[in-house]
Amino acid sequence: MKYLLVLACAVLVTSTAFAADHGPVFGYATPVNSERELSFDTGIFGRYGSQGTQLSTGSGFAYGVTPHITVNAFLPASFGSGNLPESRIISGTEWSAGASWRFLHSVTSVGKRIESTASLGLVVPGPQQESGVLGSLHRASGVAGTLATGLASRSQYFWVGGGYTRFAEESHDRRPDTLSWSAVYGYRPPRLRRGYAQWDYRGFAELTGEHTGAVLSNGLVLPNSSSTTVWLGPSVLAIYKNIAIEGGVQGPLFRDVSESVYGRERVRFAINLSYLKYSAHSSH
Amino acid sequence: MKKILVGGFLALSTLAAHAEYEQVNLIVFGMDCAPCAHAIHVSMKGIQGVNTVDVDLNTGLVSIKLTPGNSAAMHQFNEAVEKNGFTHKDANVVVRGQLSGSAQAPFLDVTGTKDRYALTPLGAGTDISELLGKTVVIEGVLPQSGKGKVADTLRYKSVAEAK
Repeated sequence: MKYLLVLACAVLVTSTAFAADHGPVFGYATPVNSERELSFDTGIFGRYGSQGTQLSTGSGFAYGVTPHITVNAFLPASFGSGNLPESRIISGTEWSAGASWRFLHSVTSVGKRIESTASLGLVVPGPQQESGVLGSLHRASGVAGTLATGLASRSQYFWVGGGYTRFAEESHDRRPDTLSWSAVYGYRPPRLRRGYAQWDYRGFAELTGEHTGAVLSNGLVLPNSSSTTVWLGPSVLAIYKNIAIEGGVQGPLFRDVSESVYGRERVRFAINLSYLKYSAHSSH
Repeated sequence: MKKILVGGFLALSTLAAHAEYEQVNLIVFGMDCAPCAHAIHVSMKGIQGVNTVDVDLNTGLVSIKLTPGNSAAMHQFNEAVEKNGFTHKDANVVVRGQLSGSAQAPFLDVTGTKDRYALTPLGAGTDISELLGKTVVIEGVLPQSGKGKVADTLRYKSVAEAK
């Protein structure tokens, strides 16, 4: 009950904010903000496993410096602990700040873009899991880099991407390096390709995977602490002008995780709200 | 009262001689979703003199109507597209301006802006020599220009003396 109250408060406090990229909810994608566009995202992310449920909520802010460079920050809050492996796909335990650069941008026709975006950010420890392997570690900051490429159009979307996070060592402890990847397919049915002043819907199939390395604790590598998982599930995005709401759920396709160390993670889910504030500034 | 009438007449004369864009129909590539269109809508509405903006996501057509007496320049419309990460293609425009140059090499000067276009007929040649030096309303096509640039040639469909 306490968790629900805290969670409700957190959502209420942040519900006036908005989300940055209006792509998939789990996987990597390429969109960046317009120049001078301020975006705000807030959401609830959950991981349910045999040893409990970990809920996190976070707020992300992003600002378009140029049409192709966006700076961003993420403020996390985490509740509960499922004693689960490290995850960068569903993050809720790190403060982060960084920049995204859309270095490839090919506009080929009405409504269609092929683009690639790279991101680099600093990750700083935030709320810690209340228990479990990661709950007892001294934590240090890390560096996260991601790369995504794909296609956006009026009818279909396709993105593939990957990311790597490397954490520093603190008091002979170190969180595991994390390698993440994703492939996302999106589709907007013909009758939903409507005017911009109407609700815009699209559905995604999101495939994500993560490999986390071994945990270092008191200078020793914890046996069986590395993990590899692959997840698949649907998500739906609804947008009205500059407000978006999105939800998705994923189940495991593949798990190579020690259940004695982490338990058995069964479901991941996410709900995200976004607000996009565009600039009307015009040069003269 | 007489002074007011004279002042009003002078003001109207100035307005009539003031060249301006009346309508700009711009094809934009790369908009896939509602926020893309909303961003273009907000950016275009931020340009002084823009009255209405319609965005059709399925055709990429951005239709802009402007208020009389505006001084909006073409580069502002292009920049509004570019800053949102999209690409502008051909633009159909209805523009009021002063014809200058010669019958063989006519130009349109959009006073109140720095816009100046060489004129070429889109179809069969139209004799516009009688309109040289006059204020005209031209409907034509500005071909796609590079990023940060404005086309220097206006392919006109029709030219009529402004009333």
